[in-house]
Amino acid sequence: MKSVVGPLRWIALIVFALGLVLHAAADPITLRFAIWDGDEALKVLRSEAHKFEEAHPGVTVHLENTDYKIYFQKLLTQYAARTAPDVAMLDPQNYQQFAKRGALLKLDPMIAETPGFDLSAYYKEIVVAMQWRKELYVLPRDIAPIGLIYYNKELFKEAGLDLPDGSWTWDYKPRPELGSKCFTYCMQKLTKFKADGSVERWGFAPSWQGAITDTFAYSTGSRYCNDPPEAFTRMTMDDPNVIKTFDFVANLANKEHWMPSTSELTSVAQSTAVDLFISRRAAMYQCGIWDVAHIRAAVKPGTKEFFDWDITLAPGHIDPKTGKVIKAWPTGGSGYGIMSSTEHPKEAWELVQWMGGPHAMKALAQAGIGQPAIHSLAIGPDWIPGPNTPIEQRYPASRIVTDQAIPYVVFPATADYWSEVSSLAFAKAEPVYAGTRLAKDALVDGNNMANARLNAMLHKQKLPDYNWKSGTALGILIVGALCLWIWYPELKKKHTAGQKRETRIGYLFLTPWIIGTLTLTLGPMILSLLMSFADWDIIMPAKWAGLGNYREAFFEDPRFWNSFKITILYTAISVPAGIIIALALALLLNQKIKGMPIFRTFFYIPTLVSLVATSLLWMKIFQPTGGLLNTLMFGAKGTGGLGHYIGVNGQAPNWLGDERLSLSAMMIMSLWGVGGAMVILLAGLQGVPDVYYEAATLDGASMWRRFKAVTVPLLSPALFFTMVTGMIGAVQVFIQPFVMTQGGPNNSTRFLMVHIYDEGFANLRMGYASSLAWILFVVILGVTIAQFRLNKLVHYEGDVR
Amino acid sequence: MITAKRAAVPASKTNTSDLALQKVGVQAGKVTAFALLLFGSIVFFLPLYMSVTMALKKPLDFSTSSSWAWPKEATLKNFGDVLSNPNVPFTHLFWNTVAIASFSTMGVLLSASLVAYAFARINFAGRDRLFIVMLSTMMLPGIATMIPTYILFTQLHWVNTFLPLTVPAFLGGGAFNIFLLRQFFLGIPRELDEAARLDGAGHWLIFTRVILPLSGPVLATVGIFCFIYNWRDFMGPLIYLNDIDKQTLELGLSTYNSLHQQQWQLLMAASVLATIPLVVMFFLGQRYFVKGLAITGLK
Repeated sequence: MKSVVGPLRWIALIVFALGLVLHAAADPITLRFAIWDGDEALKVLRSEAHKFEEAHPGVTVHLENTDYKIYFQKLLTQYAARTAPDVAMLDPQNYQQFAKRGALLKLDPMIAETPGFDLSAYYKEIVVAMQWRKELYVLPRDIAPIGLIYYNKELFKEAGLDLPDGSWTWDYKPRPELGSKCFTYCMQKLTKFKADGSVERWGFAPSWQGAITDTFAYSTGSRYCNDPPEAFTRMTMDDPNVIKTFDFVANLANKEHWMPSTSELTSVAQSTAVDLFISRRAAMYQCGIWDVAHIRAAVKPGTKEFFDWDITLAPGHIDPKTGKVIKAWPTGGSGYGIMSSTEHPKEAWELVQWMGGPHAMKALAQAGIGQPAIHSLAIGPDWIPGPNTPIEQRYPASRIVTDQAIPYVVFPATADYWSEVSSLAFAKAEPVYAGTRLAKDALVDGNNMANARLNAMLHKQKLPDYNWKSGTALGILIVGALCLWIWYPELKKKHTAGQKRETRIGYLFLTPWIIGTLTLTLGPMILSLLMSFADWDIIMPAKWAGLGNYREAFFEDPRFWNSFKITILYTAISVPAGIIIALALALLLNQKIKGMPIFRTFFYIPTLVSLVATSLLWMKIFQPTGGLLNTLMFGAKGTGGLGHYIGVNGQAPNWLGDERLSLSAMMIMSLWGVGGAMVILLAGLQGVPDVYYEAATLDGASMWRRFKAVTVPLLSPALFFTMVTGMIGAVQVFIQPFVMTQGGPNNSTRFLMVHIYDEGFANLRMGYASSLAWILFVVILGVTIAQFRLNKLVHYEGDVR
Repeated sequence: MITAKRAAVPASKTNTSDLALQKVGVQAGKVTAFALLLFGSIVFFLPLYMSVTMALKKPLDFSTSSSWAWPKEATLKNFGDVLSNPNVPFTHLFWNTVAIASFSTMGVLLSASLVAYAFARINFAGRDRLFIVMLSTMMLPGIATMIPTYILFTQLHWVNTFLPLTVPAFLGGGAFNIFLLRQFFLGIPRELDEAARLDGAGHWLIFTRVILPLSGPVLATVGIFCFIYNWRDFMGPLIYLNDIDKQTLELGLSTYNSLHQQQWQLLMAASVLATIPLVVMFFLGQRYFVKGLAITGLK
């Protein structure tokens, strides 16, 4: 015994010493700080983090910046593994999901213990928006009312209108007697048509259609859900005022042409509207304050691009009953919360105070990035330009309206189910803007869908905890069954010594793969299968749902079937088309022509360009007006060329914005990426010995016969490969619809993977998402096995079958 | 030998006018092919061309000119900005990306070729069904396994290092690559193995001396695919790499396309800089799979 204890004692001592050393090394506290900011804001935050470190010796701050689109996915994944950052940026749309599940620390107790901290210095509107069930979870850093109208002073003067002072109202009909006090009249007056009837300049352009629709709808006194917003029980988008507003906005664009239509204001290329304003193609423009830096940079005083511009409040609406003016507009904002997994809550709170307090807020205000959430700063010299402000920072002069806008802000409902439920209704409303559906039908439809989902959520049964014992047993059973399926037929066979040796060597060659599968692949796969029987929101422990997820997928989720349908359609068309084009290219590229290496490289280029950039390029290509595809097809004016043959009702096709075209657009796009299949087929063609062709030629075989008798059989292993992997890849198409259309319009590009991602990471239903993933798995497996039946037609030169 | 015999017979039948006609036909075919290729390359070159034009523009040019028009006053300033931006340390990200892509490619070439050889050439017990199991690992959407896999790597303390992005490549190399290699290995005539076997060679020798030397094109293909895949991968680096100085180019690029600030000219400049190495690599690498399998040596 002694001989064992001796060394053990030494080992323990070394481990202890090592622990001490490590502990000492880890002593300077590191705070991880997650944000989703752009380049300009990053510069500010980086320098603020540095200042914070100087003020707090022993604390280092690690900035972790992630694009907003995938920010919450990353945060959730990290939280699930208990490696979440200490401090995270959050917004009124998304923090509830975390607050509800205890992933965020409550800030009120910390505030109470911080002498001199005054929460009442903050705009109370944004504080309330960051409170879930009366508890504060996020310290706001900025508030962003979207009810700002940027306007071109010169165009107002040109139209003979007085400059707006923010006291204007809108009405369903222009009221010339009110002059520039009527927003609708301003829109009409500022719009300028060309001789041929096309629009030279729009009176108004919203940053996105929803911005103006929400502003109009809210100012009729309507809301999209019933009260109270922190626990609403019904979506009310079927409200007559809301319906009327949607139709009104659609008509402004599609009938009156006072504002750009969806095809002119592609929702996918976000800054189309601001570009219209900058290039004087729109006289007014609605957005939050965040576009100021962009406009300032583009419209510099002293350059020929410059025009005098300013901002004012969006219009209100006269209540027909009381005659009073109601103002209200959608609003955003952001702030910082502390993840409950942090080991340094005290230091994290210090950082939150710094970043969500006067220090960083001043810096952000000076850079013109965000309206401070602290009232005194928002009316102070850091934000409001004064006589000493340099000329290029003086625009817009009336920045004080950002403060005047605050009493009318409307935030997203604070109920944690708001984004999940409302997105169902909003997706259905998209065709209204495109002019393909009336608001009456679309909104009632979407509202019903949203309410059905809401009811299911509100009346959800309490599920029992996940039964890990039976879960584990199920996992073992599955692995066992799998092993049995693989090896049982072999057990019955008699193996000779030679065969046994083959088997041994075979598995020796497989060793890397076996290790990888057992350690990295199999476990997560089985866990995801187990989760498909669970109700799991990523943050809280899983609940046992039995077959509930599968039942929902098959019988209760209309969007799943829609996704399934379009995914199959996309695969069935784009894969064969892609293979045919790839084969044609490979045959062309397999010849001995001068400059062939350059040609080959050119054809591969689309698969080399970064995906982020590619998505943006495609938006530019598909852009309805001035986009490359439409210009090639219909000429620069959008009416000539093929326009005579293809009925587009005088409107250029809006490839990504029209639900009838968006899926085709995705298919067209996929063909650009045939480079991969082309290279594989080319490699296969290169393997066909020239002598076969020579022999066939000398036998007098025609080109077609040579192709059929020599090329196809010898290429069949490569063709088979491109078919199988092409199918697997197409069924799992994700990045491009996710980045470019987010599944819209009207769910027309909501491919299965987009649906799965959305359910898992946006709606926090990872259990349900897993069950959908496994349904997809079974479908792919089935089709692949069917394809392997075809394998008999594949000719393998080295096969002895 | 058979070929030689066959060749001898029709040669005598062919008369000279036929040959001339054939020559004209071949010429015409070549011209058509050339025209098709030229047209096709213009279409496929567009993304890079558009990236370059946008990278040479000033911010305002985006609202005043079409996205494919050459800018009136081209500026190289964007490239300078991209290379000197401390928020997106380009050269740093570049070398990170090179390291991750090279190591994974190495891993895939080593391990996937081994595994593919076993599936193609060794008749071990359970092979065909195990192959289906192997393929099925690429059929489950990554979203479903993302969190469990992430937790696994967290337990190993590999998060925020390159290990989760490189080590798996050495352990099998992925179903896609194994499948591709297996398809090509199956296409290599068995006579070659048999000959080697008669000389007393075992599987290891056949693999290293017969199969691998004949697989230049497909190994080059897999290598290039793998390198490009890792170069452009987004989801992997996104969840595993936190610190900006550990991240890759593709992640860094997305900083230029954030929620409230899109700097398209910078995004495109960075994208062009990130794409050029791949184009050069492909251009140089393609002559390897152009050479063709040395199968002709058999006859």
